Amino acid sequence: MEDEQVMWEVREGAVGKLELLFDRHHTGILRYFQYLTSNRTLSEDLAQEVFFRVLKYRQSYQPDGNFRAWLYQIARNVFADQLAKQKPEVTMPEEAREIRGAETPPDREFQKKQEALMLRRALAAMPGDKREVLIMSRFLDLKHEEIAAVLKCEVGTVKVRVYRAMRDLSDRFFALSGERAS
Amino acid sequence: MNCERIREQIPEALAGRLDKTAREALVEHLEGCAGCRTEVAELNAVWRGLETVKAGMDATPDAGAKLRFQEMLAAYQAGMASVQPVVSKPRVVWFPTRPVWQAAMAAGLLVCGILFGRFLPQTGDSNTEMAQLRGQVENLHQMVALSMLQQQSPSARMRGVTYSEKIAQPDPQVLDALLQAVNHDSNVNVRLSAVDALQKFATEPEVARAMVNSIAGQESPLVQIALIDMLVQLNTRGVVPDLAQISKNMRMDEMVRQRAAWAIHKMEAER
Repeated sequence: MEDEQVMWEVREGAVGKLELLFDRHHTGILRYFQYLTSNRTLSEDLAQEVFFRVLKYRQSYQPDGNFRAWLYQIARNVFADQLAKQKPEVTMPEEAREIRGAETPPDREFQKKQEALMLRRALAAMPGDKREVLIMSRFLDLKHEEIAAVLKCEVGTVKVRVYRAMRDLSDRFFALSGERAS
Repeated sequence: MNCERIREQIPEALAGRLDKTAREALVEHLEGCAGCRTEVAELNAVWRGLETVKAGMDATPDAGAKLRFQEMLAAYQAGMASVQPVVSKPRVVWFPTRPVWQAAMAAGLLVCGILFGRFLPQTGDSNTEMAQLRGQVENLHQMVALSMLQQQSPSARMRGVTYSEKIAQPDPQVLDALLQAVNHDSNVNVRLSAVDALQKFATEPEVARAMVNSIAGQESPLVQIALIDMLVQLNTRGVVPDLAQISKNMRMDEMVRQRAAWAIHKMEAER
């Protein structure tokens, strides 16, 4: 059964069916918060809050809407409320310690890990709106149409924003690594 | 197509989402534009690197997540069951439709009510029953607040704190749970809400004292400032020496120290 159909039934009172949507989307929502906050415990709490709000505001779900876009709109609001509640503590963790290991990893593996570390630093240093659009596009594989629905903008605007975010990330990454692709 | 339009399509091309026509136009442009080729190479390197970042992110939900969700769902369903709307009954056909008859009927019922009340045997039991009922409701509130304050989920504990505000006279267990929440809850929002909830009972000296003692142990300056503000609002005498200590304690956050100094000034000015 499609997400939209399940959500419609939840809206109409069959709230137990939300479990199906939880099973399908909890990991994605958790990942969204983890990329934004880098805090596992906080992300778990925020993900729970999203599904609580789905129940609370189930009557506001419109049948013609894409469920995933609606869900991420809620997730976005939950994150915005979290930021408003506390001082911004959304920093990406330093992973330098994690790279060190008892065994020396193969060169390529090591290099990939170092690149990943620098990319995470570059991501952390990006403005929140650019990071968010990249997370949705690259990590959550949301379609541009879905991102447009979440951000309430045109699909063309999403395309431009994803490109600019990539450009920004690329500049930061190459500034950190000290080399540019040629 | 100009370079800017072409470049905006690179992320989609890297994600493999570009349609055939657009892809061909992109390839054709790249063949003659060294600048855009470099752009593709750079963005491609970053795009691939993000795959490693993605793979390194452990987003496997822990086993407790589903359980917490199911508990929340069960609580919501229980809540829904308790507030099921009354099924609308068919319209009572014998009820008069003309306003004049409706008014006459209302007047008749009023007279009946007065007479019934006057001649009903007087008993003192009704007041006692009402008091008993109120007591039972109050106990129920306390029980619900207490059980919610002990939940695993911060949002449930938050609701417990909010619920406790409905209680007119909390028993020591609820007070203790709220103080525990102020001192030990892992979630800063729950701690802040518990501070607010305790405001109602902070006129009691033990509660005020517990709140003063809590300041030094708090990690979050937000909670520390909320506690200081509450002491000022209640104008709790006898806490000035404690606040003086806080204002001089260099291990405290600077804003907290300043707030404590301000609080002393404010409380002394109001004397």
